[in-house]
Amino acid sequence: MDRVVANEFAKMRHLRIAPVAIVMVAAVTGLVMFSAITSPDFADPAARSWELLLGGMSLAVPMVSPIMLAVLASRQVDIEHEGGGWLLSQTSGITPGGLCRVKLVAVGAVVTVATVLQSVLVIGAGLLLGVTAAVPAGLWLGHTASVLATNLVVLALHVLLSARIDNQLAGLGIGVLGSMVAVFASGLPPWLAHVSPWGYYALVAAAGYRDGDLVALTPSYASVAGLGVVGAALFLLVTGSFDRREI
Amino acid sequence: MGAVRAEFLKVKRSLSWAVVVLLPVAMVLSGAAGTLASGERPEDGWHTMWLRSVVFHGLFPLAIGIGILASLVWRAEHRGGNWNALMSGPTPSWRIVTAKAVVVAVLAAATQVVLLVAVIVIGSLVFGLPGMPPGEYFLISILIVLACVPVAVLQSGLSMIMRSFAAPIAVAFAGAGVSVVLLLAELDAAVFVLPYALIGRATQLGTGTFADTGPVTAGDVASIVIAAVTLAVLLTTATVSILDRRDTRT
Repeated sequence: MDRVVANEFAKMRHLRIAPVAIVMVAAVTGLVMFSAITSPDFADPAARSWELLLGGMSLAVPMVSPIMLAVLASRQVDIEHEGGGWLLSQTSGITPGGLCRVKLVAVGAVVTVATVLQSVLVIGAGLLLGVTAAVPAGLWLGHTASVLATNLVVLALHVLLSARIDNQLAGLGIGVLGSMVAVFASGLPPWLAHVSPWGYYALVAAAGYRDGDLVALTPSYASVAGLGVVGAALFLLVTGSFDRREI
Repeated sequence: MGAVRAEFLKVKRSLSWAVVVLLPVAMVLSGAAGTLASGERPEDGWHTMWLRSVVFHGLFPLAIGIGILASLVWRAEHRGGNWNALMSGPTPSWRIVTAKAVVVAVLAAATQVVLLVAVIVIGSLVFGLPGMPPGEYFLISILIVLACVPVAVLQSGLSMIMRSFAAPIAVAFAGAGVSVVLLLAELDAAVFVLPYALIGRATQLGTGTFADTGPVTAGDVASIVIAAVTLAVLLTTATVSILDRRDTRT
């Protein structure tokens, strides 16, 4: 198993997975910084708050993550279609479903590093910009963990889409639609946001505007935990069905 | 014309219609969903509708949509032995490049038409907005179509160079992101350098949001037209010279 995962990392070098992940981190961090600096609240150094940055995160993550996750999954999976990799793996003892699980582990590790990194970078930026209040570590940790869980479920969905549908248009198109759902989900009633995995980006927001004021919010931990369990179960079920398909 | 016709035949049975129809309709619907969920009508009528669909569309989904279309148009050439057939065929590089770019630009224009129709249909049927959107929005739509041309040429070139379907789309997303920042920083000259900034600027025209001041001036229109034509010509020339230096692949 370890060697199969290592093999996926070896494939990543030529697929330029690292630059794509860096674009994702840079886009999120850049958008947060930009939205913070251009905000009228930011002009007064005493009023600079963590809520401002958390609010920026809750806007930037849903905008950037769905598309970049679709790109990452598509890159890593499409080569198997291009090079007859499914058959090659199967003859060397790794079933198509197993290969998908390995790909999720490998790309998931990259996404985990990227998600944690973007949070740490934004905290660092906040400290540099002179936010005087203490870092709300618990909330930040909870938000990062919730975003990570959502990211991994969306990534798993895209691994399955890219593997099942040869034409990568499907996965990427759904990624674009997902980013729209994610961005506009904050305006939807909560039950509607629970329907698709992208809606959870709005449910895990750690700060937002309520009646015109920027306030800290508690991410819906229970909802994300539910998403994680359902996502994992469905992923195992679908990859299991891949194993029984003829290629 | 033969090359263009051949390219249209190639996309005929692809899933390009999904991007052309679904993307703009989903855009308008998701923009309207928030307003609909709160049970209100858009505060500022057609203006709010436009802001939530067309302007948001121009921030990054439009660039990505064009990227997907370009990848789709070039996908066939990167499969099987088609690249070598393309390289050894009698069609000159400039005709291949322009034919591909024309197809992408026409599909992008169709996307814009669908978007406009979706705004009108959802605005009048769902929200009961009176009459039609202000006439200037129709003029702006034409400018957006024009602004899409250099992006179509650029994305077509990227999809020609990169065999991957997703990589050029990641480039489009990054380019759109950089453009949003440049336009927010009021660096309007970016439209002459970055095609993505050009579609961003064109979609914001007349709305007073982001880089726009509100009224549509002759200067704004002229700069968009000049930038679109110049960038399209420059990028086409560059793409042709790149394809000229490409060889068969074994």
